[in-house]
Amino acid sequence: MTRRDDAECGPVTAAETERHAEAETSAEAETSAEGEAPAEAETPAAVFDVADEIGRDLAAVDWRATPLGPPAGWPQSLRTAVSIVLSSRFSMWMAWGPELTFFCNAAYRRDTLGRKYPWALGRPASEVWAEIWDDIGPRIETVLAAGEATWDEALLLFLERSGYPEETYHTFSYSPLRDDDGTVVGMLCVVSEDTERVIGERRMATLRDLGSDPSVVRTEQEMLAFTCRQLGRNPQDLPFTLTYLFDDDGRARLAGAAGISAGHPAAPVALPPDDPDGVWPAAVPARGESVLVELDGAPFAVLPSGKWPEPPVQALVVPLLQQGGAPYGFLVAALNRYRPLDDGYRGFIELAAGHVATGIASARSYQAQQRRAEELAELDRAKTVFFSNISHEFRTPLTLIMGPVEELRGHLQGADAQVREELEVVHRNGLRLGKLVNTLLDFSRIEAGRMQARYEPVDLAAVTAELASVFRSAIDRAGLAFEVDCPPLAEPVYIDRGMWEKVVLNLLSNALKFTFDGAISVRLRARDGHAVVTVADTGIGVPAGEVPRLFERFHRIESARSRSNEGSGIGLALVRELVGLHGGTITADSVEGEGTTFTIRLPFGSDHLPADSLVPAGVAETASTPATAGPFVEEALRWLPGDGTAPEEVAAPGVSAGEHSPAAGDGVPARVLIADDNADMRDYLARLLRPAYRVTVVGDGRAALEAVRADPPDLVISDVMMPRLDGLQLVAALRADSRTSNVPVLLLSARAGQEASIEGLEAGADDYLVKPFSAAELLARVRANVELARMRNHHARWRNAMIESLQEAFFVTDENGAVIEINAAFTDILGYGPEGLPYTPLHPWWPDEDDDPQAHAMVADAFDQLVRDGRGSCVIPVTHRDGHQVWVAVTFNDVTDPDTGRRRVVGTFRDVTSEHYFVQRESALAALSMRVSQADNLDDALGGALEALREVWQARQVLAALWDDGSEPVVTSSGSGSGSGWPGLPESLREKLTALREHPPLRPLAYAAGGAGVTLEHPGGLLSVWVDLGQNRPFTTEDQTLLALLVGHLGQGLHRAHQLDQQREAAVALQRAILGPSQLPEGFAVRYEPATRPLEVGGDWYDIVPLSEERIGIVVGDCVGRGLEAAAVMGQLRSACRALLLQDAGPAQVLTALDRFAALVPGARCTTVFCGVLNTATGHIAYSSAGHPPGILAHPDGAIALLDGGRSTPLAVRPGNPRPEAGHTMPARSTLLLYTDGLVERRRRPLTEGIGRAGAVVQDGRSTPIEELATDVMTRLEPERGFNDDVALLLYRQPAPLEVAFPAESTQLAPVRTALRDWLNRCGLNPSMIQNVLVAAGEACANAIEHGHRDAPGRTVRLRAVATAGGLHLTVADSGRWKPPQPEASPHRGRGVALMRALMHKVTIDAGVTGTTVDMHVRIAR
Amino acid sequence: MSTPLTLATSRRPDGASVLTVTGEIDMSNAGTLDAALARSADDGPLIVDLSEVGYLDSAGLTVLFTHAPRIRLVANPVLAPVMIVSGLTAVTAVEGLGPDRDA
Repeated sequence: MTRRDDAECGPVTAAETERHAEAETSAEAETSAEGEAPAEAETPAAVFDVADEIGRDLAAVDWRATPLGPPAGWPQSLRTAVSIVLSSRFSMWMAWGPELTFFCNAAYRRDTLGRKYPWALGRPASEVWAEIWDDIGPRIETVLAAGEATWDEALLLFLERSGYPEETYHTFSYSPLRDDDGTVVGMLCVVSEDTERVIGERRMATLRDLGSDPSVVRTEQEMLAFTCRQLGRNPQDLPFTLTYLFDDDGRARLAGAAGISAGHPAAPVALPPDDPDGVWPAAVPARGESVLVELDGAPFAVLPSGKWPEPPVQALVVPLLQQGGAPYGFLVAALNRYRPLDDGYRGFIELAAGHVATGIASARSYQAQQRRAEELAELDRAKTVFFSNISHEFRTPLTLIMGPVEELRGHLQGADAQVREELEVVHRNGLRLGKLVNTLLDFSRIEAGRMQARYEPVDLAAVTAELASVFRSAIDRAGLAFEVDCPPLAEPVYIDRGMWEKVVLNLLSNALKFTFDGAISVRLRARDGHAVVTVADTGIGVPAGEVPRLFERFHRIESARSRSNEGSGIGLALVRELVGLHGGTITADSVEGEGTTFTIRLPFGSDHLPADSLVPAGVAETASTPATAGPFVEEALRWLPGDGTAPEEVAAPGVSAGEHSPAAGDGVPARVLIADDNADMRDYLARLLRPAYRVTVVGDGRAALEAVRADPPDLVISDVMMPRLDGLQLVAALRADSRTSNVPVLLLSARAGQEASIEGLEAGADDYLVKPFSAAELLARVRANVELARMRNHHARWRNAMIESLQEAFFVTDENGAVIEINAAFTDILGYGPEGLPYTPLHPWWPDEDDDPQAHAMVADAFDQLVRDGRGSCVIPVTHRDGHQVWVAVTFNDVTDPDTGRRRVVGTFRDVTSEHYFVQRESALAALSMRVSQADNLDDALGGALEALREVWQARQVLAALWDDGSEPVVTSSGSGSGSGWPGLPESLREKLTALREHPPLRPLAYAAGGAGVTLEHPGGLLSVWVDLGQNRPFTTEDQTLLALLVGHLGQGLHRAHQLDQQREAAVALQRAILGPSQLPEGFAVRYEPATRPLEVGGDWYDIVPLSEERIGIVVGDCVGRGLEAAAVMGQLRSACRALLLQDAGPAQVLTALDRFAALVPGARCTTVFCGVLNTATGHIAYSSAGHPPGILAHPDGAIALLDGGRSTPLAVRPGNPRPEAGHTMPARSTLLLYTDGLVERRRRPLTEGIGRAGAVVQDGRSTPIEELATDVMTRLEPERGFNDDVALLLYRQPAPLEVAFPAESTQLAPVRTALRDWLNRCGLNPSMIQNVLVAAGEACANAIEHGHRDAPGRTVRLRAVATAGGLHLTVADSGRWKPPQPEASPHRGRGVALMRALMHKVTIDAGVTGTTVDMHVRIAR
Repeated sequence: MSTPLTLATSRRPDGASVLTVTGEIDMSNAGTLDAALARSADDGPLIVDLSEVGYLDSAGLTVLFTHAPRIRLVANPVLAPVMIVSGLTAVTAVEGLGPDRDA
């Protein structure tokens, strides 16, 4: 009949559910027929929100078939719990009742329940989660048994929600749910799924490990062993892996295995190419494609299972891709059968394979590089030999080039500009090459001693001036002054003209190269038998330390600035050699920054020259234009401004990007920046590249750096030797800046050889091309580099995409802790984007030290760890850019940047704010529950709960408005600004609280300006609660969930407290009805303190029964037991006792009769009673005690007497036996204390000790007013933790105070005096004191009559007199106003007041608007 | 009704007039005493015997002060504090106040 009987063991379809519903409808009809009147006052829809799908489905469940019964009958607590679950956007489920009936909300359905919905609703939880019941069952047991919450973080659970056992991880907590009585009857589970995170972290770890340790370039074998080791460390995602590499013949050879033994049938050593029956389909990865293999064949019969209980059933075969080539091989990755092969899983395996492929690539390229380096070394040795042997051979081809070029220049005068320009380039560079070759040849000749010099006597002034003039135009163009001061000498100088030309031209060329301002001068003088030639400039000079090395061969001085960096470093060396051949000397003087002067001294005459080299004047060839001068000048002119100093875009008109040109991105031609100080080379390179690239040219390294920084090109082609910033420095500068570090650089240099190329590559150049090079070679290299860069960028983009796709925030810091890279998740979590990089410490997300020093310190600690240790993990609070606090779990590790070798820290973090708040929520719930459960009444419960809420949010204020029936809501609040009630609240707040009334209960409403409101059902009406967070703290979704949860619990707690309140009110009403007279006779004080809270009744009582004018019955009793039952017995005994006393029976008679009565009242047996009859006139008390502790009497002199006579057994112990009676007369001004044993009884202490202590308190207080004394007794005798038994006490002081009221007429004075005298006598005073008091009181009364009431005689005057052990206190009060005494005007008028003051110790006359009160006090000496 | 007060005039053997007052003197009957004292004003020195007076307040004292120059008082110890405090003993002769107190 019930749904439970035919419940299946698995999910049912919706159709089945409907069938059940129909069947149950008819069952319901039957029930109705049987007259059980199931008429539900409330439909299920009233309990569930049917606007919500879950609510609808819950409403459709046949609850009648569950132990919970129809929703209409559900307890408030269950409804509240269901309401909390349904309204929460946080994933939750709950179970309630004996079978733990299952409920869940939409978030849980979406995240966890999967295909079990809606089948699971209303089922026993053990059925819903049968597959994991072994895991969660014991936890739930704990919650139900101990009432304590559980907490599990990332617990592995195999859920079958998607049709297969799935590896899942959940962080969840079970907390107890209580019914209206507070009994634990169910549990609530708040859960968040961590599967993605746990698995993601695991995969990231594998990828990170695969990419780690790049410092050592390994052999292929080492590399494979390393990767297998790393793959083997993730047996969850990779139960086993196999790595196959293709041989040259296409066979796949097993190169590595992890998680599977070498001889396993699934791991054959080799796979032939194109074998359709191979264990693995090697042909597919050979094409570069992946394939999924079902592991169901014979070789897979017994497979290792990795981390899991069952072996894998599928494997993914992915190629090991080679850039620009066939795959290296393939990776076989067995798959985790408990996870779907989704994009993430596939991507992970492909990335892992990518790492393996990269490793292979780097191992292989390392081997190739080594081979290449060896080859280069061999080549260089050969080149050196070759060069030294045949450099003179250059001259022949050069001549054959230059000759025809000269001719062509002549022929092609009329040709088009480009042809002529190119011809000019050929010509100029032919000259330059010729010059270089000649210089080298000169050297080799000089070295070999084969220099054939021909010295002839010449007019050195004329020759030198002529040579100098060749340079004039170049020097003019450079904007420099040129002084040539060569006066004719007295005698000729023997020189070889050719050599001398080289000397002068080299010196001038050198001067021009390094001089930017000022002048260049050439001077000739005769001095000391020598011709002295000086060539001076005002250039940059050379450092003093470099001067001695100026003439060293091949030594180049690294100068800060020059017009060109071209030069072989042999010019000055050659000059010295040549001067030396002339028997002369050359010296240099230089001051850095001021200039350089070269001084040549040539001896006159020919004695110093070999005779066979002398020729007569004019024999040697002469030419008006020296043959060697052309190249020097041409070269110098090319250094001068006119081009190459600012970046120039070299247009490529009419060239489409399509033709075989590598494009940087989407069809735009790649951009190339050329840096060379040689304009010809710039032009030449630009011309070569222009058809396929967008080319920009600059003249030196600095300009190149600026251009790259301004707009990074796709490739930089740079000469190594350039002024201002050379190529190597350029590369270093580019690499050092993260913005430009990825720009590829191709270095060009004439400096061949291994060292040069290694130097270039070490500096970070991507490629190195040695001059001379062919156009084809250059184009190939440029193209390769652009493509490589594009690939690298692709790689970088891939890496970026991967990092960006991480769910976790990702960051990289440098060694100082500055954040230099972040991903999108980072920005999502913290609000700081990449535009602000780098973020230097202290990072902007650090919590403010002043606002939150604790959070600041936590972050500072974590940061210290990051900088110091480089690895670690922690959970810290950080501040989002918008100001709200985020809790993040950070993990970081240090790595070494493989490019720069610098230390980096790579970290990830995730937002654990909700988990953090989750824990906070649990403790908040606990705190709230405690506050509410400890409260004595409804108001205390609410007040405590508001305080708890305030603590949870550290709120400025939390207040609640209760909309009961009154015109204004009742406001309760916690925190600042409390206690001014509804009218005291700001208008805006009143509006919010009022508006909340229209909002459904338990649905928090957050306001932007730092606060939230929620309503709940208070037993007294709707309660609006307002949480004021203060300035701009956002109230997050988590906060809202928490608030809903807390106020839900609060609602339950308030209902419980309300029930208690009602019980208590009934009890208090009862107590008031039966406990003591509300109007006590004068002289008495009473107290009652019940032990049982919150009820304020018990079994103890006191009673004071006026019997006649002077006789008063006094009773103190103590029934056995506590609480209501004892109170009921007490009420009967007290009434009986009172009735007996009123029958004028003596105390013993009363108790004897009460014995019989008590015997008839269940629970009255053993009651103890002290019953006395007091004569207030005499102070005599007759009493009898039924087992009650003795009365304590404190005499005015401090002596203590116990009323311990008249004792017998407690009531009804021996009914019928006569009881004794004793008598005692209270001395005047003595104090009597009657009490129940709760006042004096202490555990493990004798009762007499307590009685003694009570006696001491009364003794101390014998001069204290009686009411005040009662309070003192209770306070001073109360144990530290309060009375643990009921306490009743009764105090009486003899005589009772006198109170007389009389009309303001002088005839009243005598009777008042008589009454006062009588009372004073009872106070036991001596006659003289009596007389003094009588006169003082009489004067006060007379004044009241005379002055106070002269205009309205007959109004009432009141006299009150109170005695204590040590004094009297009298008050005379009237309703008139006294005239202040004016002794001067009327001496006898003030006499009365003077008398009062003289006779009493203290007199106070208080003349107020409503009357005058005379207060008099007199001490009584012992 | 005023507080009861008995006034009796007599003459001692030495011829002095004696006004014997019995009862309590307060505001309600001080006027009666004053009248009696005034009536006997012409007879020369007067002895006012207050030894049977149990109460005397400031109203009575005022009467006695008024007539102080020509009266002598016989009092009792109960009245002593009032008479001494008020200064009456300083302006007229009072006997019967008790040991060492007669003025």
